[in-house]
Amino acid sequence: MDFRQLTVAITAACFLALGLQSTASAGVIGTEAYLASQARAGHLADINSALARADVQAQLIALGVDPANAATRAAALPDAELAQVAGQLQALPAGGDGLLAVIGVVFVVLLILELTGVIDIFKKV
Amino acid sequence: MATTACTTLTRPPPEDPGRELTNVPFFPQTIHQCGPAALATVLGASGLATTPEQLAPLVYIPGRRGSLQVEMLAAARRQGRLAYVLEPDFADLTAELAAGNPVLVLQDLGAVGIHFWHFAAVVGYDPDRELVILRSGTERRRIEPRRRFLRSWRGGRNWAAVVTPPDQPAATATGGGFIRALSASERYLSADAVSTAHAVALARWPAEPLVLLASGNQAYAAGQISDAIARYRALLLVESGNVAGRNNLANALLDAGCTAEAIREARQASALVPAGSALAEAVADTLAKATAAEAAGGSTCRAE
Repeated sequence: MDFRQLTVAITAACFLALGLQSTASAGVIGTEAYLASQARAGHLADINSALARADVQAQLIALGVDPANAATRAAALPDAELAQVAGQLQALPAGGDGLLAVIGVVFVVLLILELTGVIDIFKKV
Repeated sequence: MATTACTTLTRPPPEDPGRELTNVPFFPQTIHQCGPAALATVLGASGLATTPEQLAPLVYIPGRRGSLQVEMLAAARRQGRLAYVLEPDFADLTAELAAGNPVLVLQDLGAVGIHFWHFAAVVGYDPDRELVILRSGTERRRIEPRRRFLRSWRGGRNWAAVVTPPDQPAATATGGGFIRALSASERYLSADAVSTAHAVALARWPAEPLVLLASGNQAYAAGQISDAIARYRALLLVESGNVAGRNNLANALLDAGCTAEAIREARQASALVPAGSALAEAVADTLAKATAAEAAGGSTCRAE
């Protein structure tokens, strides 16, 4: 193999390696992406468990909101807004006792509705 | 007897290296700036020389006359350190002290109804006298009775964090928690430091799913395909339903030329992934790639 052949071989190998690299990483789930998906699942679980509470559902229905609809809307929120809602939930009184907590959860639900663009709920109140 | 008890409480005990991290630096805070001072304290203890003045632009919010916890953590990460939030338990705090890590804490020093949030660094605990020793405000060695400390700490929702070099996990860290902390700091770390941190994690938590996934990804990114395959397989042994692990194993197998096996794994990942999951797209890509590789045919499996 003379010098020119060697150069061609090395260049070809480089391109081949580059090609492999880019196709190889297409379907791989990186650690950061995985953690983000986990966080999202955790936030959704928090919101759904709040929405499943009987006292919260009663408040929602009083506001003219279908609780199942609220859960569906929460699931459609982008990551950042979902984190915002879950953060609001965390700031609620621990244990979720009393009227104050319910009002807090309803506020969170209103936040979801606002973020998802359903603001005509306020006309019904 | 009463006088003696009172004296014990008011006069600080002598510095005792056995119960106290006496080498932790001290930066007396200027007005309102407890955040930068406490952060410089724990960063200094982790081997990084900095000053509250250097950190203030990163964490101090003039309008709030204070700092937020997330900003404190983010600033530590930007300095190439891991920031690890502890479980809200005093036992974890003392475990970190025993391991040589001073602990950043948030306290509420206010009286009834009025909050006075304050960041400080716990540097020691004397279990016999039940005294907590802190670098706090303008006091190099503030002594608080355990009960008073616990009350103010509860006001800060028992928030506590340690700052460590990337290859030294916090004493109370879980494997998953360590990987999350590492991932949050990764962009500020050298490739070597990240690789070492994964090796440390793998040695300490060899059966923790998140550690196996992250170190598999680390090996894969470094082109060490057979190491990556081994770690993904180890992950699936402890958590067979881990979609990301199975998906990434399929990718690594494809790279190793093991098409038939890759397509099996890709199909399983595809069956496991919940509809609407953020991972669904990557899993579909993998399956498409594996199917294309099978159609092309003629590869030799080099994974075994």
